[in-house]
Amino acid sequence: MVGAFEQAILALMIFVIMLGMGASLTPRDFWLALRRPYGLAIGVISQYGFMPLIGFLLITILPLPQAIAVGVLIMACMPGGTTSNIFTYFSKGNLALSVLMTVTSTVTGVILIPIILVLYATALDLEIPRENIIITLVLLLVPVAIGMVLRKINANVGAVTEFFGSALALFFILFLMISWVPRNWQFLLSTTPATYVAAIGLGLVGITIGYLFARALRLHPRNARTVALETGIQNGPLAIAIIAFTFSGTEAQEIMAVPALYSLFIVIVSTLVTLVFRRANTAAEQKLPDSLL
Amino acid sequence: MTDRPWTAFYGAGARAEIERASYRSIGELVRSVAQTYGRAPAFTCCLPNGMNGTLSFAQVDEMSDALAVYLREVAGLAAGDRVAVQLPNGLSFPIAVFGVLKAGCVLVNVNPLYTAEEMAKQFQDAEPHALIIADMFADKVPAATRGHPIPNLIVTRVAEFLPALPRGIVGLVQKYWDRSIKPVEIGHVRLPQALEAGRAHRAAERIEVDAYIRNVQPDDVAVLQYTGGTTGVAKGAMLTHANLILNMEQTMELISDAVKKGEEVALTALPMYHVFAFTVNLLGFWWLGARNILIPNPRPLSNLKRAFENYRITWLSGVNTLFNGLTNEVWFTDSPPRHLKFASAGGMALQTAVARKWEAITGKPVLQGYGLTETSPVLTFNPLGKAREGSIGVPVPSTLIACLDDAGNPVPQGQPGEIAARGPQIMAGYWKRPDETAKVMRDGWFLTGDIGVMDGDGYVTIVDRKKDMVVVSGFNVYPNEVEDCLATHPGILESAVIGVPDEATGEAVKAFVVRRDPGLTEADIRDHCKAHLTAYKVPKRVEFRDELPKSNVGKILRKDLRAEAMARHAAE
Repeated sequence: MVGAFEQAILALMIFVIMLGMGASLTPRDFWLALRRPYGLAIGVISQYGFMPLIGFLLITILPLPQAIAVGVLIMACMPGGTTSNIFTYFSKGNLALSVLMTVTSTVTGVILIPIILVLYATALDLEIPRENIIITLVLLLVPVAIGMVLRKINANVGAVTEFFGSALALFFILFLMISWVPRNWQFLLSTTPATYVAAIGLGLVGITIGYLFARALRLHPRNARTVALETGIQNGPLAIAIIAFTFSGTEAQEIMAVPALYSLFIVIVSTLVTLVFRRANTAAEQKLPDSLL
Repeated sequence: MTDRPWTAFYGAGARAEIERASYRSIGELVRSVAQTYGRAPAFTCCLPNGMNGTLSFAQVDEMSDALAVYLREVAGLAAGDRVAVQLPNGLSFPIAVFGVLKAGCVLVNVNPLYTAEEMAKQFQDAEPHALIIADMFADKVPAATRGHPIPNLIVTRVAEFLPALPRGIVGLVQKYWDRSIKPVEIGHVRLPQALEAGRAHRAAERIEVDAYIRNVQPDDVAVLQYTGGTTGVAKGAMLTHANLILNMEQTMELISDAVKKGEEVALTALPMYHVFAFTVNLLGFWWLGARNILIPNPRPLSNLKRAFENYRITWLSGVNTLFNGLTNEVWFTDSPPRHLKFASAGGMALQTAVARKWEAITGKPVLQGYGLTETSPVLTFNPLGKAREGSIGVPVPSTLIACLDDAGNPVPQGQPGEIAARGPQIMAGYWKRPDETAKVMRDGWFLTGDIGVMDGDGYVTIVDRKKDMVVVSGFNVYPNEVEDCLATHPGILESAVIGVPDEATGEAVKAFVVRRDPGLTEADIRDHCKAHLTAYKVPKRVEFRDELPKSNVGKILRKDLRAEAMARHAAE
């Protein structure tokens, strides 16, 4: 679906974006998120408790072909990816928590994903390619660390890096949406409504449940928004890699439709959710007298 | 020194009397301090996204010299001519102010958020010969100067003097994203070009800025600081060079034990056109050799986050609104500044609940001071380590405070009376308003219009504004006391208390409340007050509001609420 050159370009873009995200953080942000691991624990429960359950319910309710059902279940079991960090940043969420949640879910996923799959699909035996896990972690942590160092050395360099990183992130989101549709037009036309519902619903329901769960446990709205996005936004490329590793031929192609479709719609859904979150954030801001400029 | 018992509470090294200012003029102060600290960072402008620019003491000195030459030689201004400065906090601010004062001109501080009409009123009164304004606000100039043109217009911008890349980014964002910069449609010069012209002229004509500075006398007016005053008529308080320098030294004297010259990092979120920030943050921090972190716009408060993260703030100077706001921000309470030594509050009453919450979060006190525009402004301040809750502190060195009754005689100690002050920081008078000056000066004492109590140690507590007092069946109720009580209720965000006409009691206490907890009822509020206050002080009426009217520094405007209530009463 995507060539090696395109993959390299995408990886480079993500690297630069995460550099910018890193430049918005300080070590203290991470320390604060770790000091109260409550949020992190809620995130992991939400990620590996609710998401697979949502996936399982979707494939039970909806009339889906076997291959699509397998795809939905795999997608539901994935950890969070860098996309969730980007949307958390734009949602004015807790980026340090988001990064930590991504790292936690990715690392624990190596053990948790097979266990969950046993629970929901006894027959499914997946290969989890370690190198993809490592690439995910490296592409996340290395630029974030460099960004933080840049900011520490010079606040202006950090702020400019953040500015260009976030500008590129906006471009990246638009690019994903705009480039995806024409390339997969035929695929979009031949996809059944039930598959659409599953691919869109997984992210949307995941974000909603994640938010409500976090709020019910009295997490601060800022952290709840983070948990929501982290829960609903899965690591699409990892799912694709896992499918390619485990399956072959037409079966792989059929299963692959789910992460592809999911990846498009999660960007659209997350963009809308981000706009809602930003509005909520502005509404919650303290009103100061007009001219205490 | 038995007549001044409060001097015992000053720090060990503090002078009890400051006979005369250490510098003859603010220009001399600027020059002298710049020679001491040279290339050390003096001002850092920190924008909400962390982009920043820094100028050293030497740079600010040189640039303000260039502006002084521009004003005198290129623009043709004379000593004593007024120059209006209408800028938010930023690197242009100290250059503009110091340049004007070195030139021997009179500075007129103007609130950047004033409407064209408000600007016009102030300009017509002060008659400035030049205006230095930020581009964001320059679109109001044509309307504000119609019929009374200001000959010289100098325009600057928020990101002026930042490094090129951040400056360019901020400029593009302001122009195309915020659209906060409108084109300036009348003749003007940009501040950097004015500085260039000043430098060129100085080199060509061998002009000595020190000659301008030497010509300034301590008693010359430095600043026309406008105040709405108690009567609502805007008046320019004439503050002399000696007033301002002495007041800065008087204030610094009380914290001299806690701060180290050349080592502090101070945060200025309060606008420096306001007299409190002008004296303490601009002059005081400069004198201290501190690095002054300037925040152009503290709204929303998250705009301060990067400044707190990127700099080791040791001193924060602000108003109650700012401290209250910060204690309600999660990012602030999660990681309060670790290097903070203390915070100082002025401009409006610091509520006890806010002060306690602040100290609980940061572990450091907020020291409350008190004063008025007319007193440059500081009259009293709490000595570090000896601060008393709810008190505005003790008189600063060489300052006398008396509480007077209506006949002008001192009340017995411990009794409330109108605070009168005497000291070298009292203004020279109101600009062109001898009648107004006569109303507030009596036998060399300045009448503040505030009711206060002084205890045996010299600590003063403000009871209220004289005109805000509510008389309920002959009992005096001071709205501040009731508001303080309301502030301790967790469901209340803020409140204002006024007196309204009442058939049974003459006047009745009415509270305007902004709720934090939407479920809060009138009965809850009354129960809370009954638990803490005598019956006659408990609000008889409560009205819930979404927000309260406030002045440009965040003081709640009781007079607006009162006018509203009176209008409603008249209609009924």
